[in-house]
Amino acid sequence: MEFYTKPGDYDPINYVPHGESHGTKELWHTFWILLGITIFDFIIYFIMPASGYRNLIFIFFGIVKAYFIVGAFMHLKYEKINLALIILVPTVFIVGLIMGLLYEGSALSHIK
Amino acid sequence: MANQIQTTYENQPMWAGGRSPFNVSYGKLMMWIFLLSDAFTFSSLLVQYGAQRFSNVQTAVTSQWPDPASIFNHFPMMHGLHLPLLFVSVMTFILILSSVTMVLAVEAGHRNSKKEVQRYMVYTILGGAAFLGCQAWEWYTFIHEGARLDGNTFGITKEGYTHLKSVGFGDHFEWEAGDRTNGPVPFAALFFIVTGFHGFHVFSGVVINVVVYIMTVRGVFERRGHYEMIEKAGLYWHFVDLVWVFVFTFFYLI
Repeated sequence: MEFYTKPGDYDPINYVPHGESHGTKELWHTFWILLGITIFDFIIYFIMPASGYRNLIFIFFGIVKAYFIVGAFMHLKYEKINLALIILVPTVFIVGLIMGLLYEGSALSHIK
Repeated sequence: MANQIQTTYENQPMWAGGRSPFNVSYGKLMMWIFLLSDAFTFSSLLVQYGAQRFSNVQTAVTSQWPDPASIFNHFPMMHGLHLPLLFVSVMTFILILSSVTMVLAVEAGHRNSKKEVQRYMVYTILGGAAFLGCQAWEWYTFIHEGARLDGNTFGITKEGYTHLKSVGFGDHFEWEAGDRTNGPVPFAALFFIVTGFHGFHVFSGVVINVVVYIMTVRGVFERRGHYEMIEKAGLYWHFVDLVWVFVFTFFYLI
C-alpha cells in the first residue's frame, strides 16, 4: 500500500479511468432500432385490437428499447459485469411487483 | 512517476480495497446509484398507476378507464382532428433524437474534441426544450378539455365509446353531450403526477446540460484533461429517455 504515502500522485476519489470512443456507428445503429420499434408500436396499436396479448407485445418492446438505451447509450454493455449486475438485478424485482399488483388490481375490480 | 503508480494501483487485486472494483470513477458510480434509486421512484408511480387501472377495468357496458390514446388525440395546428398517439410518438422521437446527440457529445468528449462536444450539447439542449414545449402543450390541451387533479370527467359512456370507435384516424372529432361522465378519479391525477414528475426530470436535465455546456465553452474540461462530466450528465439524460419509454408504453399504448 505504499502508493498511499503520496496522496498527490494518486487519489481514489478523483481517479477517472481513461474513456475510449467506440465510434459513432453503433450509436446510429441503436437510434434506427429505437425509431423502428417506436414506429412498429404505433402500427401495432392501430392494426391490432386491444387485448392482453397486445399489451404483452408493448411491454416486450419497451424492455427491448430499455436494453438498447441502457446497453449502448448508457454504455453499460462495456462496464464491468459487477457494476451491470448491481444495477440490473434489483430492477427485476420491480417487474415482479408490477405483475403482482396488476393481478391484485384486477381482483379488486371484481369486488367493486 | 504518476503513471507508474497508476499501473501499480490497477494491478491490485480487485477486492483488496483502495480501488473501485467497478473500474469507474467515484462520480459515475454515484450517478448510477442515484439512477437506480430514481428508477425505484418511477416504478412505484407506475406500479400505482397499473394497480389503479386494473381495478377499474373496462367492461362491455361502460368503459370505466378511458382509452388514453383516444383522449390525447390532438396535434398542434390540426384542430379538431382525431389523431390518437401521433403527438406522443413525435415527442418520443424528439427525446430519442436528443439522446443520440447526447451520446455523440460523450463520444466527442472521449476524443477531447471541444468543438464537437459544444455542437452536440446545443442540439441536446434544443431537443430537451422542444420536448418540454410539447409537454406544456399537451397539458394545456388536457386541462382545457376539463382534466383536474381532484376529479375525472373522462369517464366514457357507452354512447361515447361507440362515437369514438366510429371516427377514423384523421377524421374530425368533437365530444358530444352524453359522451362523457365522471370516471375513476385517479386517471387525470396520475397522469399529471407521473408526466409532471418526468417533465420535472427533463427540466432538471436541461438545466444540467446548460451548466455542462457553459463549463465546456469556458474550457473547464479541457484544462481538466477529460470530459467525464459530459458522461455523467449523459447518464442522467438517457435515464430520462428511458423513463419516457415506459411512460409512453404504460400511459399511451396500453
